[in-house]
Amino acid sequence: MQSPNEISPENSWRSIHDTMDQSRSSMHLAGMSTILLMWGGIMALGYLGQLAILSLANDLAESSPWIFAPFWLVVVAIGIAASSVIGHRASKSRSDGVAARNAGLRVFAFWIAVVAAAFLIPVAAGMWNEDTASSIPGVAIGIIALGYTLFGIMHRPALAVVGMGIAAAYFIPDYFLGDIAAAVTAVLILAVVFGGAFWLQKSGVA
Amino acid sequence: MTQEPVVLDEIIHQPVRLRIMTMLASIPESDRMTYGFVQQSLGLTGGNLTTHLRKLENVDYLQMTKEFHNQKPRTWIQATTAGRQAFAEYFINLQKVLDWHPES
Repeated sequence: MQSPNEISPENSWRSIHDTMDQSRSSMHLAGMSTILLMWGGIMALGYLGQLAILSLANDLAESSPWIFAPFWLVVVAIGIAASSVIGHRASKSRSDGVAARNAGLRVFAFWIAVVAAAFLIPVAAGMWNEDTASSIPGVAIGIIALGYTLFGIMHRPALAVVGMGIAAAYFIPDYFLGDIAAAVTAVLILAVVFGGAFWLQKSGVA
Repeated sequence: MTQEPVVLDEIIHQPVRLRIMTMLASIPESDRMTYGFVQQSLGLTGGNLTTHLRKLENVDYLQMTKEFHNQKPRTWIQATTAGRQAFAEYFINLQKVLDWHPES
């Protein structure tokens, strides 16, 4: 029987590869649970804001349905700025040097690409007009959920589940619940990201 | 023709120390990691991690430096050049061992 201090060559080999994979993906996940919580708050506030516009300025929402696109643009821009600060600070508490900086830049570039796609794909699809503008948030949420899912597949399965949860939290109420969908989505997204953040923290480095 | 027996560095060939050296050797030479990050990544108690870090520090495979960040102490861990060389040799020797006894 092997003592805790012994390790077979095969297990050494496996341990080296597992540790390298884990170490690399941990660098890409610096601050992710805090960032997730923050996005949950931001998205929930965004949906509550959208609900407020629908309730308090319904005429404006009906005559200019595109109003939600710039509204979300501002919300997401605030989220990206806050994520960068949180990610940078978390990264500094883990490691210092080229590897951490490169990991941070790659994560930043990935999410900028996702957010840019969320806004540019509706533009390319010709959705920025009065008839289809109200569908832009749905497309944007779908792309952001896809971003979480892809990032999760690459680094932590919990994030892939969060991505699918975000999509479900938006599309299911949107399809079934009509006017109160935004409020339900806000609550469900909060639940999904809080659950995801808890899962990430429990699973170790995030 | 007889082949020379391959000897694995016994300081590195231990489950925890192997993972510590792997983490430190997987980043560029000028980079370093915090004690907290290594501890969290490896899921070790502070006492256990410190014991293994001291063993690696005693043979000059890594160095630990304490700095203050926002008036709080932070311990940085960095592989030395000797530590990187030892890990690289360990890796090559491990490949040789596995080539002789391919089980995986």
